[in-house]
Amino acid sequence: MDLKDQLTTISESVGHLLPEIILIASLIITLILGLILKRNKQALLHGVALATYVVSIFLVIKAWPQQPTSLFGGMLRLDDFSSFFKILFLSGGFLTLIISRQKKEDTSSEYVLLISAIVLGSCLLAMSMNFVMVLLSLELISLSSYILAGFGFDKKSSEGSLKYFLFGTAATACMIYGISLIYGLAGTLDFSSDQFLNTLIETKSPLLLVGSLLMLAGFLFKISAVPFHLWTPDVYESAPTPVVAFLSVVPKLAGIAILVKVVLAIQLFGQSGFPWQSIVAVISILSILVGNLSALAQTNPKRMLAYSSVAQSGFLLIGLAVLGMEGIHFLMFYSVAFLIMNFLVFSVLNHYESSLVADSVSSFTGIGRLSFFPAFSMLIGMIALTGLPPTAGFTAKLLIFSSLWSTYQETQSGILLALFVIGLINTVVSLFFYLKIPYFLFMKEPVVDAKPIKNSYSGNLLHGILVILLIYLFLQPGVLMGWINRITFVL
Amino acid sequence: MSLLSYLIFIPILAALLAILIPARLPNSFRVLSLTISIIQIIILILIINQYTFGSGFQLIEKIPWITLELGTWGILKAEYFVALDGLNLPMVALSVGIMLVATISSWTIDKNQKGYFILLLILNGAIIGSFCALDFLLFYVFFEFMLLPMYFLIGIWGGPKREYASIKFFLYTLLGSILILIVIVGLYLSVRTPDSNVQVVHTFNVLHMQDSDNLIPGSLLSLDSDSYLGPYSFRLWAFLLLFIGFIIKLPAVPFHTWLPDAHVEAPTPISVILAALLLKFGGYGLLRFAYPIFPDGAIHFSWLVGFIGLVSIIYGALNAMASRDLKRLIAYSSVSHMGFVLLGIASATVEGITGAVYHMFSHGIISAMLFLIAGVLYDRTHDRLIENYSGLATKMKAYTAFVLIAFFASMGLPGFAGFMGEVMIFFGAFQSQSINGLVPAWMAITATLGLLLGAAYYLWTIQRMFYGTYSVRSSLMDLTDLDRREFIMLLPLALAALIFGILPQLLLNYINPFATEFVGSWFSFEKILTP
Repeated sequence: MDLKDQLTTISESVGHLLPEIILIASLIITLILGLILKRNKQALLHGVALATYVVSIFLVIKAWPQQPTSLFGGMLRLDDFSSFFKILFLSGGFLTLIISRQKKEDTSSEYVLLISAIVLGSCLLAMSMNFVMVLLSLELISLSSYILAGFGFDKKSSEGSLKYFLFGTAATACMIYGISLIYGLAGTLDFSSDQFLNTLIETKSPLLLVGSLLMLAGFLFKISAVPFHLWTPDVYESAPTPVVAFLSVVPKLAGIAILVKVVLAIQLFGQSGFPWQSIVAVISILSILVGNLSALAQTNPKRMLAYSSVAQSGFLLIGLAVLGMEGIHFLMFYSVAFLIMNFLVFSVLNHYESSLVADSVSSFTGIGRLSFFPAFSMLIGMIALTGLPPTAGFTAKLLIFSSLWSTYQETQSGILLALFVIGLINTVVSLFFYLKIPYFLFMKEPVVDAKPIKNSYSGNLLHGILVILLIYLFLQPGVLMGWINRITFVL
Repeated sequence: MSLLSYLIFIPILAALLAILIPARLPNSFRVLSLTISIIQIIILILIINQYTFGSGFQLIEKIPWITLELGTWGILKAEYFVALDGLNLPMVALSVGIMLVATISSWTIDKNQKGYFILLLILNGAIIGSFCALDFLLFYVFFEFMLLPMYFLIGIWGGPKREYASIKFFLYTLLGSILILIVIVGLYLSVRTPDSNVQVVHTFNVLHMQDSDNLIPGSLLSLDSDSYLGPYSFRLWAFLLLFIGFIIKLPAVPFHTWLPDAHVEAPTPISVILAALLLKFGGYGLLRFAYPIFPDGAIHFSWLVGFIGLVSIIYGALNAMASRDLKRLIAYSSVSHMGFVLLGIASATVEGITGAVYHMFSHGIISAMLFLIAGVLYDRTHDRLIENYSGLATKMKAYTAFVLIAFFASMGLPGFAGFMGEVMIFFGAFQSQSINGLVPAWMAITATLGLLLGAAYYLWTIQRMFYGTYSVRSSLMDLTDLDRREFIMLLPLALAALIFGILPQLLLNYINPFATEFVGSWFSFEKILTP
């Protein structure tokens, strides 16, 4: 390809990246405005970012790809799978900034900038088709997250941020090493290419397994799956709540999206000699078990939710362990439900933090009796995370376990049956800790000198919408599933 | 909408309405709740009027609910499907009646009435919904929907150890329902609608699930599946999971330990609902889901079912005898009585099944009465220890009369509702060995010991609490007899316990066609299994 052709491809490709370009433009504007505007006048920055997300979501939907389009010579690919996740990332960013408005201190331009950068990185990651691109997008997410995790600006927050950074860089190093091994074997970095497929089908070398596992470590770190979850509780505990809400959803879903693509690639459409299904299933079982059992012992609500987030990764991975289109569809449904319920829970938590120090579940004692609605939203969020009706959390679990059973019926693989049983039984375990906060909210008498909880109408409105969405998706899952079912291009 | 849907959704809509009423008007919630219960009674009368004796389902209402494309595996289809037959009509009638009594009994709730009555109304709708649902997913949703109101009702308005009791109740019951969910997931993927042509339509319709023609050949739960997991085939495992799931709810030994705690700590009206209605889901679930869908499992494990029933009868009765707390005694007597239900179901004879359903109904009435009686005493003294009372008969005459009726009815004395159920269960259990060989005769013989023990603990309690010289440890003043409200809520139950003892036909006309068809369809199934 000569230079002229290359330039034409690039200029053609740019047109397809309109949502991302707008994000970049907003990044630059935020940067400049942040220098010009006074410290207390930065509400404008939020407005700019929120508008950007809305416009980007609109553009993604408007240019919904019927056929996949390869961009920048195979670096990125615009398809319906990635477009779906892009909408989730942008909505995640949108919700995060809305939640952040509740507390006035988080309005600096850097904050908005970093959130936008992570959203951008996630969008690019979901579209990546080349290991170099994967690495670049992932690093954009990671580096921004490390800084964002330290946004509490105290000792604890710095500690969390540093831990996240150290673990993160180690994981990235592993991943780069793994990718280099795979590159050596396949001779290409484009994991959707025929060359990648054909070369690796021939390869029987265990080096491929080693390389792939090392590479997966990077993604599993991002989604905080066991055994790469160790950073999660510390970061969740110390970072500001809106940041935690954001980190627990957007980078995680981005990690899931790329994990789906990469696992499908290295599984070589079922022709790989290595038991990828079992490997994913084992990680899933471990995440569910370790996440739920560790959460039982937690008293800090954010640490508890951190372990819950580990367990939820396990449930998301079930959709991948199925290694089929249905599983991936249900994984996407689960992702939507997860986004809604996680934001709901963290948003209520954030709302409470503006009135009290929520460092232990017992600090919620009796609050539900004083102000009902936020507590009710919290209850619905927790029920949804447990996976009980009448919430979308139940539908998502029902669908994802259905796909698991179906696959088990075909393959008769014992590990899938174990995953099925352990996953469902863990619902009971998880109920115990998910109910802890509602338990203190409703069942305990209010403390005598309890400070009244500030009432926030905007907060109640947001929680109301999220609660209604959760119940609506339970009653009418067909609306969302109909849309997801039309998605066909993953790799 | 059919009458049945009104019965289910009126309380739920009323609960939504009640959210708008300000909390400083506590009486409005009581009145609202009572009005709803009375409306339900009227609807129930209309329903019974429409219902004609005979087998099969009536008042059917079927509306598509969820239809999802599942890619290559076809379509998931769940319906809003409610109907009545001889099994759930008595249960629905019981629910409506007990809810009225529970509402009257809730008059004394004096903290946070708004929350209490909203939860009570939601519980009301969910209970009736679960009894009516013939779509397994719909049943499951209603079933789970009962747990959360129950958890809060015990946990907020209960006794001193309420928090422990409520979470224990929730965890046990959820474990049971998760076991049921495991089977639901496996089952609906193995079942298709009879009219599915090009694409397989996976359905949650229980009637389709009961018909072995609808099982997809080659699926793990199909009849010809030769896959084994350990010693049993997947169908047997599925039956076992459903069985355990439902006997946790029943509850049977060894899964009964949540019951005494929940009962002792729950406020009186909630104990009433728990004993009279929620326990019935155990027996109802076995008869509606586990047995008809997996008759092969039921045959294979009939010995186990009967044995667990027997153990529950004896162990429950012995525990009741050793209880010092009146509510705990009643709770263990429930375990013992539910053991009889299990024994009747295990026998799988027309008499046994009829008896089991009859016994569930009569236990609903009698246990409600027993818990109200315990509540009356607790309201006055806040003390439930049997040893702290004696000679109550001299001061509380009306109360003693109701206690005697309830105790004798629960003992299964002829002339009371409890007798009919038990005697038919014994007919079934004794016949079983010669008719179908499912329950050995020694189990039936040993189970009669339960009757004896029942008489023993009730008579002993009467002797300790009501005879002798009057003394109450916690109160120096004389205890007052029943007031008008307490009289009103106990009287209909006492009358019902007598009427259904003297005129069993009132109920048998409904139950018998169901039991005949149930056993009939079952044996035709057995023929398929052994050609």
